[in-house]
Amino acid sequence: MACCKTSFKLKNTTAELDKLCRNLEQFGNTLGLTKKCIFQINLALDEIFTNIVSYGYQDGDNHWIKVAITHENGTVVIRIEDSGVAFDPDSVEDPDTIDDIDCCPVGGLGIHLIKKLMDEIVYERCGEKNVLTLKKNIAVH
Amino acid sequence: MEIIETREKDISIFKLNGRLDSNTSPSLEKQLAGAMEDGAKNMVIDFADLDYISSAGLRIILKTTKDLRRTEGNIVLCAMQDYVKEVFEIAGFDSFLPIVSTLDDALGKLQP
Repeated sequence: MACCKTSFKLKNTTAELDKLCRNLEQFGNTLGLTKKCIFQINLALDEIFTNIVSYGYQDGDNHWIKVAITHENGTVVIRIEDSGVAFDPDSVEDPDTIDDIDCCPVGGLGIHLIKKLMDEIVYERCGEKNVLTLKKNIAVH
Repeated sequence: MEIIETREKDISIFKLNGRLDSNTSPSLEKQLAGAMEDGAKNMVIDFADLDYISSAGLRIILKTTKDLRRTEGNIVLCAMQDYVKEVFEIAGFDSFLPIVSTLDDALGKLQP
């Protein structure tokens, strides 16, 4: 499969979710990814992005969140960079099972979805920046 | 996202069209809460035309389910795309929420 890459910047407002979706669909369609695969990558990116918008900045100013997506040898690699407060998704406790409506973890749900939908998650704090790399193997899907 | 609300006897049906994310979930939350205030007890959410859901959407479904249980109401979800259903399964919601294939199945579950 061809090597392909795209990158874009999003402002720290959830109104940018539509732009995120448009960019991702364009990338996915160019590569011929399935609707399901595009959906899953969209969901993981959305959860991270919405987290950054909600908790990353307390100053009320505008900030840019950088997204870069590449595809090579059957793996889609998504890199998200922001300058908000340090946040390692791995620090969020993963619920073992959710089989009771009353103990359903409302807080960590987004992170739980990302961990299940992506094949690899690597978090780095680089100076004042969070750099999160998500990998999804698409060859087998 | 578009929400089309209809009624079938005492069942309120909400057909979702588009994307349910952190931008659009407040409007769904408002509409479902409004219906409950108006006395709706049995609800069907029709996902046939829903292309996308994030955890923001799941939270609204969870909240509505809890609120309905307090009033001894019921909720049934139907007609999900397979990848949307998978998200409900990963979240574990399928263990306490009835998810059926068609709108008719959903209505059948609520009016035996």
